[in-house]
Amino acid sequence: MTTPVVELSGVSKRYGDVLALDDADLRIDRGELLAVVGPSGSGKSTLLHIMGTLDRPTTGTLHIDGYDVGALSDRELSVLRARTIGFVFQQFHLARGVPAIDIVADGLLYSGRPRGFRRQAAERALHRVGLGHRMRHLPHQLSGGEQQRVAIARAVLGGPPLLMADEPTGALDSQSGETVMALLRDLNDAGTTVVVITHDRDIAASLPRQVRLKDGKIISGVRA
Amino acid sequence: MSAPPLVPARMPVADVIRVGGHGLRSRPLRVFLSALGIAIGIAAMVGVMGISASSTHELDRRLDSFGTNLLTVTAEEESHLPTTAVSMIGALPDVDSVSAVGRTGVRVYRNDHIPAERTGGIVVYAARTDLPTVAGARTVAGSWLTEAHTAYPAVVLGWTAARSLAVYETGPDQLVWLGGRWFTVVGILAPNDLLTDLDYGAFVGWPVAERELGFDGYPTTVYTRPQQSAVTAVQPLLGAAANPENPGEATVSRPSEVLKAQLETRRTLNALLLGLGAVALLVGGIGVANTMVISVLERRSEIGLRRSLGATRGQIRTQFLAEALLLSLLGGAGGVALGIGITAAFAATQGWAAVVPPWAMAGGVAATLLIGGLAGFYPAVRAARLPPTEALANP
Repeated sequence: MTTPVVELSGVSKRYGDVLALDDADLRIDRGELLAVVGPSGSGKSTLLHIMGTLDRPTTGTLHIDGYDVGALSDRELSVLRARTIGFVFQQFHLARGVPAIDIVADGLLYSGRPRGFRRQAAERALHRVGLGHRMRHLPHQLSGGEQQRVAIARAVLGGPPLLMADEPTGALDSQSGETVMALLRDLNDAGTTVVVITHDRDIAASLPRQVRLKDGKIISGVRA
Repeated sequence: MSAPPLVPARMPVADVIRVGGHGLRSRPLRVFLSALGIAIGIAAMVGVMGISASSTHELDRRLDSFGTNLLTVTAEEESHLPTTAVSMIGALPDVDSVSAVGRTGVRVYRNDHIPAERTGGIVVYAARTDLPTVAGARTVAGSWLTEAHTAYPAVVLGWTAARSLAVYETGPDQLVWLGGRWFTVVGILAPNDLLTDLDYGAFVGWPVAERELGFDGYPTTVYTRPQQSAVTAVQPLLGAAANPENPGEATVSRPSEVLKAQLETRRTLNALLLGLGAVALLVGGIGVANTMVISVLERRSEIGLRRSLGATRGQIRTQFLAEALLLSLLGGAGGVALGIGITAAFAATQGWAAVVPPWAMAGGVAATLLIGGLAGFYPAVRAARLPPTEALANP
């Protein structure tokens, strides 16, 4: 049996008096495509931050790609993120005034790869997300859907085993949203584990597995 | 299978500069204004040092051309040296040359209608023909008195004397009213910073002074040049050689020391101006720090994104530090260029050669790097400490 990409056991996260995540157990295997779904305030973002190693659990253990996150320093976690996890955000986070190809190339900025390599990879990644004709465009010259595809190209540039998408369609109209979801499915077909955080039940229902959160607890989709 | 170690990749310098530079490019106006603050400070400092170096260079050049081995022996006011003074001094060992002037009692005027009291402070001297060689005087118009002139009513005017008599050229038609008769101006001396007395002098030949102007023939100032190595040995002997009966009545001086004293005074003033430049630079540095603090606040989401892409805290710190350094370096380079421009312009108005010492330029750039590093350090540390989740939270 291969190591799971993500494995949480007994993970809690407390912010002051608020228990944002309560004793969560979750195992995500390689090649999965799943939704983390729940109303706002249910702990989705907290779960994303913890699975993305952007924040540490208060209690419990977390393994990402076989690494025990609790045993890693902040430096090592940064390297783990650079190698293992791609992020896609609702707000795209594209640098103003920078052409698409350079935005995407920054996906490997902290990998130690030379610039020429990064730009070549970015070119391929942009073709892969269907934006081969938009390489030199600046973010404001792109539609919302195109901007999110640029962000996805950046996230998967280094071929991370795990892709976390936080409300990837939240800022998009439904048609662009469908294009983005189709792209995420393609990436999953190619082997990437994709976790989509969403409050949209329809999107969640369209994915093979749903993990439901409510008041900081995982209420379904844990899978033994 | 054991997992490979998680070691951050080193970021090449080119990438650090590119990422830092990008941060600047996206806010051009603010960057320009902050860099301007630094530039003004550096320009002030480089300008002060450049102008000071140029004027020092000029003084050195003059000292070189006059030589520092000139010594003068001057009789007290209303007194004179014995006629033997010149030959006695000339007989001292290591003395290369000697010349002298003698103050006459007469006055010089533009013409015979000028009231007697309007002397313009000009002193009429009987002068030896070898005075220019010894005193390092040169003429800007005409020539110095030759043997042929000395018996005739010919006069050479010092620079200031010529100005106040409104004489700008020489020739048979340039006449001045000297000691109750007309003298022809045959030469005008260049200004002499070493011997300012010469600027206020009108010089006539020794024989003509004795014959026509009632001059008693006694020298009042003797100029002498010992060998450079013997200057300090000769200087104490001069008083006694010039006036053996009353050695204390003659004042011996070394005019080049006056110029050197001027240099010292200028250095003190420069220290003050440099201090002002440093204050300007400090203010510029605070401007850079301010810009960087605001930049960190505004770019929280960028910081969060970079952390999510795998940047370590150190890499974020390096990025913002590089940005601050680039920003102040930009100002520093501009400031050095501006400082050179100021120096060149000022030197041109003074007729000097512009000299900007390389250490001033290097120092200017080094100072900006130091300022940039200090100003960028705190904002960079703040940026690096920002938790990624907080940075990614929408504002």
